[in-house]
Amino acid sequence: MITAERKPLAEIKESIAPYKKLLVVGCGSCVAECASGGEKETALLASQLRMDARKEGRDLEIKEITIDRQCVYEFIDQLADAIDRYDAVLSLGCGAGVQAVAEVFGRTHVIPALNTTFIGQTKEAGLWIENCRACGDCKLDYFADVCPVTRCAKGLFNGPCGGSKEGKCEVDPDTPCAWQLIVTRLEERGKLDAMEKVYPPARWSRKGGKGPRKITREDQRA
Amino acid sequence: MAIFFCRQLDAGQDLNRRSLEKELGSRIRFFPLPCSGRIEALHLLKALESGADKVYLVTCPVGACRYREGNVRAKKRLAYAQGLIEEIGLERERLELVVPSVPPRTTIDRIARDLLAEETKLAPSPLRVKERGEERRTGKGYRQEGVRR
Repeated sequence: MITAERKPLAEIKESIAPYKKLLVVGCGSCVAECASGGEKETALLASQLRMDARKEGRDLEIKEITIDRQCVYEFIDQLADAIDRYDAVLSLGCGAGVQAVAEVFGRTHVIPALNTTFIGQTKEAGLWIENCRACGDCKLDYFADVCPVTRCAKGLFNGPCGGSKEGKCEVDPDTPCAWQLIVTRLEERGKLDAMEKVYPPARWSRKGGKGPRKITREDQRA
Repeated sequence: MAIFFCRQLDAGQDLNRRSLEKELGSRIRFFPLPCSGRIEALHLLKALESGADKVYLVTCPVGACRYREGNVRAKKRLAYAQGLIEEIGLERERLELVVPSVPPRTTIDRIARDLLAEETKLAPSPLRVKERGEERRTGKGYRQEGVRR
């Protein structure tokens, strides 16, 4: 899931300042799961903005709508009937969602209300942790399904570094040592001999550096 | 004033709150919850947005929640909502947690009367002041929009 956090209200207010009619659009997928851009959060932000405007004596008309996915055209199309009646869109989608909506409705200013943060997992209620850097060359199979690129502060492919204490990372004592997790799980699976191997560097060229990455599948194309 | 409260606090809450609502009219609105853990920050904000000067959340005492931790969650959600209204310059005191003593030996209408006696400490909501002005111009009445009873 892609995680995000709401921007400070002052930053949002500055961005929407020129507009009097605002369509606030939530996204019912990843950002709903991480409680930053779903239906509830969209309604909360809209309520805050309405009260703020009324308190300051400003005219601001707001309509809220949450679509299932802001990054897929079929869902974005649901905004078509409403969008022309508003001066701008305030999006509670991730960065991909904001750009997709702006691409479909090119003349409309689409303002991000969230800071997109990382690819992560819901660890427990109210806690999300980063566990994938989208490096494009997944090696989880080698490392007992624990990503050392993301979860080891030093990104070691051939760990452990020897600095962990009681299973915690020496860089951040609140973070479990990724290599401790790897070794423990390999042991549980009876595959500790995997520790004997020396793993070559990943193909970092797949991570980026040549502009936006893309995936093409002919069988999925129209 | 809006009062969200846990129904488990007072077995006779249905009659008790209705009699007070009848007596005081639009000055007070009750919102019974199956458990205070049902509260969402949005309920609290909507009540303020709809014109309440003050919103109370009445929970069971700590350790007495029928669903174990509903009151603990309610407290956290109220704190979150307080942060949201502070962001727009409203006093956090406009949202207040009320926890009766252990065990609760009172009724919701008595709790509400005590709260009403303290109500004057807070100035009218700046949103309500604007709304009153709006009412005069449009003739529209006070509405609790978006808050389900």
